[in-house]
Amino acid sequence: MQKKLLLMAVLVFWPSYSYSESIAPYFGTTPNAAAGGTTWDMNTLLPTPPGLDINGVIYNYTIQKDVNDSVDVHVQNKNANDTGYIFRETDEWGVGSLGGTEIRKVVPVIPNIPRTSWGQGSIEVEGPGSIEDPNVVYMYKVDPCYDPQFDPNCPGYEIPIPVIATPEIEIYDATQDEYVNLNDDEKVLLEENEKTVEEELDEDEEEEEKRKREYRLAMLAETNAAQLFAENQRIQQMNEIMQNQVNNTYLNKTINGGAYNETITIVDKTIDDNNIGLRNNFAQQLLHEQMVQEQYN
Amino acid sequence: MFKKLLTSILFLVPFSAHSVDVPITGNVQSRCVITTDTPGVYGNPNAYTLTTAAADGGVQPIVRYDVTLADAYYAQITTPTSFALSPSLSDTVTWTGSTEVSSLSDATNMGSYETNKITFGQTTQYDLTATGSTWFKSTSTATYGGNKAFPGGTYTANIEAVCIAK
Repeated sequence: MQKKLLLMAVLVFWPSYSYSESIAPYFGTTPNAAAGGTTWDMNTLLPTPPGLDINGVIYNYTIQKDVNDSVDVHVQNKNANDTGYIFRETDEWGVGSLGGTEIRKVVPVIPNIPRTSWGQGSIEVEGPGSIEDPNVVYMYKVDPCYDPQFDPNCPGYEIPIPVIATPEIEIYDATQDEYVNLNDDEKVLLEENEKTVEEELDEDEEEEEKRKREYRLAMLAETNAAQLFAENQRIQQMNEIMQNQVNNTYLNKTINGGAYNETITIVDKTIDDNNIGLRNNFAQQLLHEQMVQEQYN
Repeated sequence: MFKKLLTSILFLVPFSAHSVDVPITGNVQSRCVITTDTPGVYGNPNAYTLTTAAADGGVQPIVRYDVTLADAYYAQITTPTSFALSPSLSDTVTWTGSTEVSSLSDATNMGSYETNKITFGQTTQYDLTATGSTWFKSTSTATYGGNKAFPGGTYTANIEAVCIAK
C-alpha cells in the first residue's frame, strides 16, 4: 500500500515538461585571440554552432611607454557588414602612467549582435609606445534552440510537413465580378455589345472560310485540273475492269418453263400437340404471374 | 471640599506606564573590497636573508582592491615589520619593503596611481580616485642582525592592506 502511495506521489509531482540537457544554453570562451599577433580572424576563432552570441571581452596586456608620453591602445573588431567598428575599447595611457603596468579588463558587449557582424579583430597602439603579452578572450553564450528545429524539445519546434504541390485554385469572387456590379441598363448594354461582337466574329469566320475555299478552288483550277482529269480516266478504266471480273463470276444458265410440284408429303396426315412445350409454356406463365404479384407484396 | 479633593486625586493617579524600544537596523555594504590575489613566498638566497624577490626564489604577494565608489577611499598597504610566526630569534631583524601598482582595470583613470602614491615608512598610500580593480604588488626583505643565519623553521609575515575612507 505504501509503495502504491509513493508511486502515485512520484507520478503527481513528476514534471510534465522539462528541457533536456542538449537544448540548455551554455557558455564558453575562445582561446587567446592575440596569440598569433595583434590581428585575428573571428571566423576561425569562434566555434561553429549557430545561436552564438558574444557577451563580453576579457583582455590584458602590459603597456610599455615613457612616463611623459601619452599612448592610446584600442582593442577592437571591425563591423563586417558596414564601415567602422562593431566593438572598440580604448585605454588612454596618459602622462604619469608608468610603463610596465598591466591592464586587466572585462568589457561587456551589447547582446544579440549578429555573429556575421564581427569582423577582423585587432589591438592597435596609437602613440609612442607598445604592448607586451596581449591576451584577448571572447566570452559567448550559445543557445541551441536558436533554430527551433534543432530539437523537438525546443520552444517553437514544428513537426516537419512534407512539401506537397498544391493545385492553384481560382476562387471566384462575386464582388470582383464587374457583371455582378452592373445595374440593369448596363447589363442590357453589355449583352447587346457582346452579341454584336459575336456576330461580327462569326461573319469574320465565314468570310475567312469563303476566302480559303475560293483560294483552294483557284489553285486547283490552275495547277491540278489536268492531273485530275487523267486520274478520273484511270479510275474509270479500273472500274470497267473490275466490273468485267464481277460479270465473269455469273454462270450462263437456261431455266426451263413448266410447273414445279411439292415433293415432300406427310404420311399420317396429322400433327400431334407438343405436351412438353405446353408444360413449359404454362410454367413460364405461372412464373410471370408470380413475379408480377411480388411487386405488390 | 471632599468632592474637590477626590477629583484632584483622580488626576494624580497615573495610568499604567508602558514603553517599547523600536530597533533600527541597516546594512552598509562595503564599496571597497580587499582580496588576496597571490600569497607571497619568502625565498632564502642566503642564510641571513628572506626575500620575496622572484630572482631569489620568492613570490611577490599581490593584493587586489575592488572599488565601486570613486574618490572615496585610500588604499594603505604596509609591508611587514615583524614575523607573525617564526622560531625564537635572539637578534634583531632589519625589514625593507615596497609596494607598486601591478595591474589595473582602467588605464585612463588609474594610470597615474603609481606616480601619485605617497610612501611613509613601510606604508604606501594610494588615492583610489576611480572605480574598478587595482592590483598592488609588494616586496619584502628580512635580514637577520649581524648577518647571522636565521634559525631553521617556518617564518610567516603579514602584509597589512586597509581601505581608509576619505
